[in-house]
Amino acid sequence: MSNITNISLTRRKFLGVSAASAGIFIIGMSLPLGKYANAATNKNDVLNAFIAIKQDGSVIFQNPFIEMGQGTYTSIPAIVAEELDIEMSVISVVHAPHGSDYKIMFNNTTRFTGGSMSVRMSYDTMRKAGATARAMLIQAAANQWHVAASACSTVPGYVVHDKSGKKLSYGELAAIAATLQAPAEVTLKDPAQFRLIGKPVKRTDSYAKATGQAEFGIDVKTEGMLIAAVKQSPVFGGSVKSFDKAAVMNMPGVFAVEEIANGVAVIADYFWHAKTALEKLPIEFNDGSNAEFSSAGYLKTLQEKLDDQGISAEDIGDVDQALANASKTLNAEYHVPFLAHATMEPQNCMALVEQDHCIVWAPNQGADTIAQLAAQITGLSLDAIEVKTPFLGGGFGRRFIPDYAAQAITLANKHQGKAIKVIWTREEDTQHDHYRPMTAAKYRAGFDDNGKITALHITTAGEGPLKRHLPGFLANPDIDNSIIEGAYEQPYAIPNKRMDLVSVPVAPIPIGFWRSVGNSQNSFFKESFMDEMAHATNTDPVDFRRQLLATEPRFKKVLDTVVNMAGWRGKPWLAEDNTQHAMGVALQLSFGTIVAEIAEVSFSDGNIQVHKVWCAVDCGLAVNPAIVKMQMESGIAFGLSAANAEEITIEQGKVMQANFYNYPIISPDKMPDIDVQIINSGEALGGIGEPGTPPIAPAVCNALFTLTGKRIRSLPLSKHSFS
Amino acid sequence: MAELLINDKQHNIDVEESMPLLWAIRDVIGYTGTKFGCGIGLCGSCSIHIDGEVTRSCVTPISAANGKSITTIEGLANGDKLHPVQQAWVESDVPQCGYCQSGQIMAAVALLAQNPNPTEQEIKDKMINYCRCGTYLQIFAAVKKAAELQGNVA
Repeated sequence: MSNITNISLTRRKFLGVSAASAGIFIIGMSLPLGKYANAATNKNDVLNAFIAIKQDGSVIFQNPFIEMGQGTYTSIPAIVAEELDIEMSVISVVHAPHGSDYKIMFNNTTRFTGGSMSVRMSYDTMRKAGATARAMLIQAAANQWHVAASACSTVPGYVVHDKSGKKLSYGELAAIAATLQAPAEVTLKDPAQFRLIGKPVKRTDSYAKATGQAEFGIDVKTEGMLIAAVKQSPVFGGSVKSFDKAAVMNMPGVFAVEEIANGVAVIADYFWHAKTALEKLPIEFNDGSNAEFSSAGYLKTLQEKLDDQGISAEDIGDVDQALANASKTLNAEYHVPFLAHATMEPQNCMALVEQDHCIVWAPNQGADTIAQLAAQITGLSLDAIEVKTPFLGGGFGRRFIPDYAAQAITLANKHQGKAIKVIWTREEDTQHDHYRPMTAAKYRAGFDDNGKITALHITTAGEGPLKRHLPGFLANPDIDNSIIEGAYEQPYAIPNKRMDLVSVPVAPIPIGFWRSVGNSQNSFFKESFMDEMAHATNTDPVDFRRQLLATEPRFKKVLDTVVNMAGWRGKPWLAEDNTQHAMGVALQLSFGTIVAEIAEVSFSDGNIQVHKVWCAVDCGLAVNPAIVKMQMESGIAFGLSAANAEEITIEQGKVMQANFYNYPIISPDKMPDIDVQIINSGEALGGIGEPGTPPIAPAVCNALFTLTGKRIRSLPLSKHSFS
Repeated sequence: MAELLINDKQHNIDVEESMPLLWAIRDVIGYTGTKFGCGIGLCGSCSIHIDGEVTRSCVTPISAANGKSITTIEGLANGDKLHPVQQAWVESDVPQCGYCQSGQIMAAVALLAQNPNPTEQEIKDKMINYCRCGTYLQIFAAVKKAAELQGNVA
């Protein structure tokens, strides 16, 4: 079994281990060449430290990517283990600290965990990391034996002299290898020889998670730690007017009551004491200027804007002309609500500030963001900040935005020498999320006399989270791709198409990245409209898509695969349970991965039941097919959960939902059976954590149309009635 | 002062008896395998056993466990030997983020103690805790596997 720990070692400590106990071999390696190299900044001179080998042959792997369920603590070390030639069982995975050494994304400028990017953005780096270490171990053995390196090979954990059969373990060779220069070039393994990549390698974290030993942020402990509960202004953008600290200071365990940026924190010995005192604490808030905001009003604004001009993100052919000349047109408007992430682990963070040092234990999707925040709040330099990243009890994009960490660091900075852990209640978590933005879209299609589509014009109104949080990632500052992605640049061959964005800022409402981001709504809009167009032209929805994919064999194969898996039926049928069942289909390209899903749905006694989902996925190469399959299941559950009943509504500037009773996430009885088939096309690697989510909502709604004749143009389904 | 028998060990703690067991177990005693999810007994992340009955500890006060025996996720394994349910969970790689899985495992152990060879429907009826990662299908299969590992399936 693999050891797993959540302790992030600082680079100093990671290297310090080597100094303290001779024989630990830290592989320092040049950053990878090729597309990740950054000639402009000479980053190739910087050494990275991912791998340490101990005398007993065990290996510590510093993972630059966090584990939130998506499998990075297995898939990433497996890539290294493949090239290094070690068994997975000898690897301990720890989370890499913050700092430039671990920025291996986007030309070595950044590092975060999200965008379904971890494997595809580090695959080459990690292979090279493993291969470099292996080459150095081989050279160390060759030096011992006075033979050429080329006369040696490896078996897992050992270098072997091929002719004599002599063997030395990696542990024995580590100290010598550490004195060698890393080779500039290494030969990577022939993929035909892979024994880990492309195989269903077992997860490294299952044991810890099945025994209660896995440490999440909420579990972090240290001597003398205090725990804080927080109450933030219910109205977004509001502030604290007054609070009566004296009223609760004598309550059990209470240590302090402090004002924070948008609320009040009670600090106590135990969470229960903090929470109980906070509930008794008289607090008054200034509502600020947003007390009139409502999600219903915002929706109305979005809908009104759908006839505005907008800015074109895609403009092929002449849509206006083609629509004017069309012999038949079809228009439809869609919209989706705000959504919460509802991670099972509520937001939390612990911080300790001392005179010249700050430690932050933060469940996060970007350690560097946490470090910068801590430096900013404490006034310490980045070198004085240590970020420890435990397991995340779900992320789904929520933990990109470190508002919870800012609270812990602020409180710890005020009470230096005391470790303070902030824990949000479920209610705070639901009401102070950074939501998937509410979005509306209008689709217009034109057809010729033969019913062939000649034009597609999409207008989307809303605000995406990218411009607000990561403006540097926008190619064009006027076009926030994060709200329209997945609606355009899709493979369907339509001669005239245009995608227009009408920006309607939703400030003051906090919005963020929600699993699959813009694809989460746009796949619903687009694939529903594809279905509407198919029915409007009396074409089977699968055939309709196939015709538009004639020149896209990769997409067509994914569609055909799922159609064969499901035994596609375009008409409802009486199933064995004596109710009518129907199928719906959807296809989506997101995060470089193509996914097609077919849902089998029934409706009886007012109850929509999704019985079965078939899913075909082409992510280029499934580095770990077991994890790919699990991420498809997980993504489908997440998308289905939202489609069924998730909705955040805002009235008078406040979120109306509070806990799982009015923000219901999918329950086990609503989980469909799922079959997943992976297509290893050999194309560029695509992501896996998110692409399972987008197609499920339209697949289900398309099935419902076939079943009931009712077209669903807004979510969640719980707001619609069927007859 | 309250006395709690947790995983066969006696703990004397100096907190009021109205504190939910969840926080007594996590904050006061220090077993953090039992998780806080919703605080209102809905999600099941905080599931423990009181005299073998699966119980949501976030809404159960310390006083309810007077003279009773509490088991948490930390008390299931016998030394290095995992409980068959844990073994099934590890062999099947059930957990994703893993946060809800202590509660899922506690629910499964209680189910199999009462019904060593449950049908698929019986599993679905009893395994009602939430999982945001959507590992439900793996959970159902692992309960079945655990029943086999316990040697109760013909």
